[in-house]
Amino acid sequence: MATTAVTSAEIASEAPRSDFGRVLAQRERRFAAALLAPAFLALLATTTFPLLFLIYTSAFRMDLAMPFTNGFIGFENYQTLLADERFWTSLLVSLVYTGSTVALQVIVGLALALLVMDMKRGQGWFRIIAILPVVLSPAVVGMIWRTFMLAPEFGIVDYLAINAGLGSKNWLGDPTLAMVSVVAIHTWQWTPFAFMVLLASLASLPEDIYEAARLDRASAWQRFRRITLPLLRPAIVMVVIMRTMVALTAFAAIFTVTAGGPGTATEILNLYAYRKSFTELSIGYGSALAVALLIVTIIISGILFAMRRAK
Amino acid sequence: MTSFKPTRRTLLKTGTAAAAFATLGPAFLRQAAAQDADLAPYKSAQIDWQQVSGETITVAVIPASYFENLITLAPQFKALTGIDVRFEKIPPAQIRQKSVIDLTSKTGTYATHAADPMYYALYVANKWVEPLDTYLNDKSLTDQAWFKFDDVIPAWRSANGINGKLYGMPYDGEVTIQVYRKDLYDAKGLKPADTLEAYMSNAAALNTPNDRIWGAALRGVAGAGQNMYIYPSIFREFGGDWMKGDKLTVNGPEAEAALAWYVDIMKKYAPTAAANWNWPDIADAFSQGTVASYIDAHSSASVINNPEKSKIIGKVAYARWPKGPSGKRTTSIWNWGFPINSALPEKKRKATWLFIQWATSAETQARTAHKFAGPTKRSGVNRTSIWKDPDYIKLMNGFGDNFVEATMGALQDDTDVDWRPRVPQWPAIGDTMATAIQSALSGQATIKAALDDAQRRIEPMMRG
Repeated sequence: MATTAVTSAEIASEAPRSDFGRVLAQRERRFAAALLAPAFLALLATTTFPLLFLIYTSAFRMDLAMPFTNGFIGFENYQTLLADERFWTSLLVSLVYTGSTVALQVIVGLALALLVMDMKRGQGWFRIIAILPVVLSPAVVGMIWRTFMLAPEFGIVDYLAINAGLGSKNWLGDPTLAMVSVVAIHTWQWTPFAFMVLLASLASLPEDIYEAARLDRASAWQRFRRITLPLLRPAIVMVVIMRTMVALTAFAAIFTVTAGGPGTATEILNLYAYRKSFTELSIGYGSALAVALLIVTIIISGILFAMRRAK
Repeated sequence: MTSFKPTRRTLLKTGTAAAAFATLGPAFLRQAAAQDADLAPYKSAQIDWQQVSGETITVAVIPASYFENLITLAPQFKALTGIDVRFEKIPPAQIRQKSVIDLTSKTGTYATHAADPMYYALYVANKWVEPLDTYLNDKSLTDQAWFKFDDVIPAWRSANGINGKLYGMPYDGEVTIQVYRKDLYDAKGLKPADTLEAYMSNAAALNTPNDRIWGAALRGVAGAGQNMYIYPSIFREFGGDWMKGDKLTVNGPEAEAALAWYVDIMKKYAPTAAANWNWPDIADAFSQGTVASYIDAHSSASVINNPEKSKIIGKVAYARWPKGPSGKRTTSIWNWGFPINSALPEKKRKATWLFIQWATSAETQARTAHKFAGPTKRSGVNRTSIWKDPDYIKLMNGFGDNFVEATMGALQDDTDVDWRPRVPQWPAIGDTMATAIQSALSGQATIKAALDDAQRRIEPMMRG
């Protein structure tokens, strides 16, 4: 209260301009802090606290099916995890899934963006149509693909495959095809994102460099390699970082399409953590798996950010 | 500020009036609908239905017609007991998790919920639910002569009991039976299979994918209630035993033979897509005429007889599960039952019991089945007496030839309380087995390897 009195007095006595500004800035900061506080607390309560609680839980044996065995076990869950073959399999599946979807998204997205840049008419329409898959819920996308597209004998993809002479395939029942299918679904849904970002970036590239390159008789491929790609690099790296973080923690589409099956062929780490926690009711071990996923995500995005800064 | 006051007041007034109308209006109408005559059959019970009047309880059910019918009768329950019931509809895939979370945290959100019988072992190990005999034997709470507990189908009662004690009252249940196309069977001179071997050869005889007809279909998608709903019957019919002494065993020669039969029929005579199918997908394919026969819950009969979608109405007949090499038939004894949440205060527990008694009584079962005014009728009533009621039999036989005989035969003679391993660790075991079965079906692992791996994973779960 005392400060307020002084400041009012200072304002009233028309304090020197710099002082006045400082006081005002201070008050503004305090006001901003007051405005931010509820959001900050909400953020703490909804993100930081659950995260800390997750880490805390991972140090316990917490098995709803056998409550009499519950208790503090320190790092035992992590030791079990390191020896758990299914953990390593699911980590590998996660990495393959993430690597291939992100690569496909960038390649297909960039190809589409280059194509659309050259379109004389209908660009606007194309953009609207292209963005549609992104706005669908992954669970809905999963259901659509599972029932209408990929069902052998009954689905559209299988119909096309039969007509193309490939024969009917068990898209979701065969371990390799199931992996290909979930990668294709994720890529189908998220390529538009890469496409939009890269298209925006392409549109902002300076025309005069290309003009100069053409005068120097650079071929289209040379122009792409020497000019377009380096200039697009920040955008591409951004897309890679954002898509990697999302793909590592993908869940809904895979859950609805294969639920990790057949067997464990498409069981990404996130899905394994979910199954351990909520289907098998081993909350402690499930938490340890979730923490492992968090660590993997942090490491990979750390590397990507470092790559972004390098050069 | 003053200029806003009239507006706000008007708003408040209209709002309150609207809210009052919205909540009280329909309630008033519904109350009016529950006439005294409606309640007479309940009032003949020698108990004070109004003893905990004023209580409110929340009941979690799944969005299924058999529960919807019950929900429409809730105003009668309110008029009878003065207890308010708030229903929460949760899809079957989530209701287990939500109720487990509620029971663990002891918040008592759900006074009772539609419970999976496989979860009672877990509930009891944690003392999350009440033994129901306390309530059944309390003369102030239950009129035994009126409630007729013995009339409740024994298979489902035993499924909801642990060590001879009942923990959940069956509300609606099912058995697995053979469903087949009698026109196709007749054309080839086939009879419904009496053995698993005959079922396989029937499937072989009818399998003509070029005409878009497949011989058979069983649940293929992985899950404790999916492929692990069908496989346990086969395992038991091949002479398998879940518990060998104290040890839970999922591998061994019987298991290998059972899984080999399952993989064989699915690979040779089921549509390839069935590897990813659950019962609604199978019932849809059957109702479109692409599957000649399937073995699944008898309750899927209502889907294949849906006049808006089905192309095979009038061509369906039923038979019991085929016998296995051990000479046994083993059907599912699955049902949705109502337990009482132990975390509730005493008055609410009483209110919950009154609700359970009302919902599972012969009178309410009849009112939600053949006596129900709406279009959907139940095929899983919990009372032997209703299964013998001519009106109910007439309604059920509309599903096809031999429906009531096959279902009743299965319910009375083909049940096996150890159909699936009844241990608290079931959620984990069921999921592990489901994954193993699917990896064998997809060729990711050999039958023996898949089962041995499941055994390796299950052993530490049992050791605790």
